[in-house]
Amino acid sequence: MPEYYETVPVLESLLPPLIQFDHVVYRHPGTDELTLPALNDLSLQIEQGEWVAIVGANGSGKTTFARHCNALLLPTSGQVLINGKNTAHAANLAQIRARVGMVFQNPEDQIVATLIEEDTAFGPENLAIPPVEIRARVNTALETVRMGSLRNRPTHLLSAGQKQRVALAGVLAMEPECVIFDESTAMLDPRGRLDVMAEMQNLHHRGITVIFITHFMEEAARADRVLAMKDGNLVYDGAPEVLFMDQPLLKSCGLEQPSTLLLLNEIRKINPALAHLSTDFEQALQEIPTYSGAYFLEPQQFSPSSAEALISVQSLDHYYLHQTPLEEQALFDISLEVTSGFAHGFCGATGSGKSTLLQHLNGLYRPQKGEVRIGPYNLSDPNVDIKAVRRYAGLVFQNPEIYFFEQYVGDEIAYGPKMLYGKEGLARRVEEAMNLVGLDFEKFKDRVTYTLSGGEKRKVALAATMALQPRLLILDEPTAGLDPASRRNLHGILRAYQQQGSELILSSHSMGDITELTQNLTLLSNGRALRTGNTADLFNDTALIQEAALGQPSVVRLAIRLRERGWPLPERVVKAEQLFAALQAIDGGQAHG
Amino acid sequence: MDEFDFLSRIPFGQYIPTQSVLHRLDPLTKILIFGAWIIAITFTPSRVGLILGVVVVFAALLLSKVKVGFALKSLIAPLPFLLIIAVIQVFLYSSALDPKIVASIGKVHITLSGIWAGGMLLIRFCALILLLSLGGFVISTSELLQGLNRALAPLQRLGIRTMDFIMVIQVTLRFLPFLAQSAERIAKAQASRGSDWGVKKKGLANRIRQVVPMVLPLFITSLRRSENLALAMDARAYGVLDKRTSMTEPHFNWKDASAILIGITISLAIFLA
Repeated sequence: MPEYYETVPVLESLLPPLIQFDHVVYRHPGTDELTLPALNDLSLQIEQGEWVAIVGANGSGKTTFARHCNALLLPTSGQVLINGKNTAHAANLAQIRARVGMVFQNPEDQIVATLIEEDTAFGPENLAIPPVEIRARVNTALETVRMGSLRNRPTHLLSAGQKQRVALAGVLAMEPECVIFDESTAMLDPRGRLDVMAEMQNLHHRGITVIFITHFMEEAARADRVLAMKDGNLVYDGAPEVLFMDQPLLKSCGLEQPSTLLLLNEIRKINPALAHLSTDFEQALQEIPTYSGAYFLEPQQFSPSSAEALISVQSLDHYYLHQTPLEEQALFDISLEVTSGFAHGFCGATGSGKSTLLQHLNGLYRPQKGEVRIGPYNLSDPNVDIKAVRRYAGLVFQNPEIYFFEQYVGDEIAYGPKMLYGKEGLARRVEEAMNLVGLDFEKFKDRVTYTLSGGEKRKVALAATMALQPRLLILDEPTAGLDPASRRNLHGILRAYQQQGSELILSSHSMGDITELTQNLTLLSNGRALRTGNTADLFNDTALIQEAALGQPSVVRLAIRLRERGWPLPERVVKAEQLFAALQAIDGGQAHG
Repeated sequence: MDEFDFLSRIPFGQYIPTQSVLHRLDPLTKILIFGAWIIAITFTPSRVGLILGVVVVFAALLLSKVKVGFALKSLIAPLPFLLIIAVIQVFLYSSALDPKIVASIGKVHITLSGIWAGGMLLIRFCALILLLSLGGFVISTSELLQGLNRALAPLQRLGIRTMDFIMVIQVTLRFLPFLAQSAERIAKAQASRGSDWGVKKKGLANRIRQVVPMVLPLFITSLRRSENLALAMDARAYGVLDKRTSMTEPHFNWKDASAILIGITISLAIFLA
């Protein structure tokens, strides 16, 4: 297609744009004239081959906009034209759906069939394409997303990242001109997100229009064009570089600068020798000047006291669907120790075995082979009091709020302590737990759980486990799906909780969670424990982080690069504040090499 | 076995691609043969026929290259119920007029014909359950749908939209493993909060109390998921055309013809033996 345009440029102006919004207003069914419409008089064009990011706070209309592009929603007034064809006419529907494909947020919810190749064939089958061609398209699509070898696997046994790739293959098999990604990276680990971004880049190079919605500003910065939305209005349409310079606009939209840009801006202010660094992170890393000042900074000493082993895991194996034809090994010979007094993190890509391992730590799984000791309990002992284990080690699941079953906040939190300790002192236990997470007892106890915001729900879920008064709190992906403000708030709560003498264990693929909250870390990869040690040490080991299929936090990368250039920075920098403090302590004037 | 592992407890609907002779048959052939066998085993009045049916089921299981032990697992859950029904059957069929009384408990007599009736019922149900599981192992959902589609084609000519009906079956089958996974996660989350999952406890009241906090989240997650799935199907152009095609083409040939012939002959043998 692009070659065609290049050779006959005159035609381009004659062809209608791929996507054209013409004064589109959309009101959710059942809302009246007084409430703000979800889309408010939106007019814009997207041409064939563009790479467009859509950003904005929750509820700003991003998804509503995207669903207008393939006629999943129809405008209340105004019109949407795809290649000049009106989405409101049913006769155009097959063509529009074939042309504009969509990958959704939750990979599990968009897979229709039980086998991968059957799922990929679903779209073309709906378009009544002949079987021979469907098979050819399915082959090509699965090869494109590198899932060809797994085509006969049942879809429910895939990892989240693999499912997302299958979902993309299903769209590609329809041979679309445009693919829309609606927060398709939100549930993936860093590597999975990079994978999806790479697929987007690929499509872009092949001339396919790519539109994606994201909460990650680093991703938005890679697009050619960014649309920023606020309350159903388009408030910015242009290059990402310009948007990310406009702090007031970003703030009013509930957005933030990419963290790498934030980091660079800060260090440019601290030291004049760094003031000229590029705003592009990769380029800035190359531009860091050689240090010529005095060395005076003592490396920080960090010596873990020889404390008791809180948890000890010895040669643990685990199989899913044990003793069935679909058996699969999830944990391989895991041995590690968690020392008392240090918050411990488990970090690894999706499918590395984090959740499976965590579920051994409060007795949900018993060791099939090997040994797990938690405080005074040995899980291999068939007579161990399993309820006591769960009371000792409280586990908060990923997205815990989807398991709520009580109507009121107070009852939800009271469920656990009531089962374990009975009714006596129940109100006090609930109140204490709510205080720990910063929810006011009187104000929140009678609130209906389903009306709370995402951050508040997460706090209720935390309180529900804290009310069991566990010695040890285990959290699986505690900040998944939270916006930046709620995430910072939760970090504060957990740090305070730990300072009160409770033990904290968390698994996360968010580098931010791990560096902010933990002192020790176990890196997991493909069901194996790569190494256990000091968090800062492990993150500074570039080769190790790569082996774990994770990305080093940008702070660490920046610090490593500065050290390579002779800057006297301590070895164990993992947080932005540590880097800034270290840089401020350096005599900057002499840094020019 | 793991007390939270709900997924491995439902072998039905778990397609196992072993590429056996049975797997390679045309979907419609498979459906016809399994249908004929199910009818024959259900209704055969003859003891010899039933034994033949059991032999046939095991032979087919071996042909399918699926581990027999795994298939037998599907019998574990319903076995207690089947045993109870079989015992009731023994008493129902034992009439005092029957001369061959084996044992008597007070005024209730157990006769040879009663034992035969109970035993046959037990064997009949076990054979049927195994056969259904086997059907799940060798017929993938897509094949099942394609086969059903062709079987129901005459109805389509009458103007009935069989496509939607078939889609309902497909989505239901696809949701079963996910439902099991959701249930597993919810049970674990509740167990972590002090409920009794995974703790050995007896009594019906306890069991019910344990299930209630699970039902609501299961409903909500299922509803949310079905809404999302409907959107995803819409986005992939489901239902915008009246006609659908299928990736797999019918490959009906002499092998299928002879398979059907053998299959029907066997079912007649089971029925008439």
